[in-house]
Amino acid sequence: MTLSSSSPPATVRREFALGAVHALPIVAGAVPFGFLLGSLAAKAGLSPLEMGLMSALVFAGSSQFVAVELWSRDAAGFAVVGSILLVNLRHLLMGATLAPRLEGKPPLRVGAALFLMADEVWALALRRGEALTFGYWFGVGLTLYVAWLASTVAGTLAGALIADPAAWGLDFTFIAVFLCLLAGFWSGAGALPPWLASAVAALSVHALMPGGPWHILAGAVAGGTVAAWRGRALS
Amino acid sequence: MTGDDGMLDGAVLAVILAGALATWLTRVGGPWLIARIRLGPAASAALEATPGAVLVALVAPAALSRPSDALAAALVCLIARRVPMAVAVAVGVAAVVVLRRVM
Repeated sequence: MTLSSSSPPATVRREFALGAVHALPIVAGAVPFGFLLGSLAAKAGLSPLEMGLMSALVFAGSSQFVAVELWSRDAAGFAVVGSILLVNLRHLLMGATLAPRLEGKPPLRVGAALFLMADEVWALALRRGEALTFGYWFGVGLTLYVAWLASTVAGTLAGALIADPAAWGLDFTFIAVFLCLLAGFWSGAGALPPWLASAVAALSVHALMPGGPWHILAGAVAGGTVAAWRGRALS
Repeated sequence: MTGDDGMLDGAVLAVILAGALATWLTRVGGPWLIARIRLGPAASAALEATPGAVLVALVAPAALSRPSDALAAALVCLIARRVPMAVAVAVGVAAVVVLRRVM
């Protein structure tokens, strides 16, 4: 992000437009996803206003799915917030890779830009390499932001119309979505041991305490521990 | 969770605000932390594995609750990286409806 703080407005506009265009394939993928999230949120009892606020303020798809799923099972508030945090911990690593580009930039602008750091925004920005500007970043980020907000709210409005989700297998939607998100985290066979550890821990804890959210924490800790152990062994 | 359309529940709002703050902190925290501490290979490997581990923990009990759902889940895993997500989800849901009837 080198240009925009000193570059003329015409350049910023051009960069913004370029980012917006590059965001379009991402938007095409995010809109059905957002619509689905919205309809599930309606089932969980969220109003369109609540869904809109969540998309506008959290703006992190996977964690919003997790939150809505927990809400649909009447989980405690702290469990929902904790799960959002756990799912979004990966942002720490993503942000760290951007650090060299952000050094010495105005803190307010950096804070605002990083608010929009969804996985896809980050990936597109990295691909720009040295040519990355704030204009481009906000072009990608704000385009996705508006599409996400609109599609999740539209889904909530539409979802309230479906009467019995289980009869249509729609209770399976969460499982399918989480598996697809999981597939996105697949990085080769090395990803498998932490996942297996997580599955074993989660199933064991779930068998003992089926109601609570503790199996999620158990899975996260078990998976993280195995990964850490392997990380140390590999280095 | 009981919210009527157009309503804003106080407890829901609190969770949304706390979740938003937590998420934003994970987003600004990366550049901030990297300037101050260097993550060891173990810590960064654990951090990297966390989202996947959370998703596994979320799906495992539900996906393995009955054979029909486990089979449909396996099907979704097979196609998840080959087709758009909307398609994979639709196939999975269709499969579970059929499988629950026959199994």
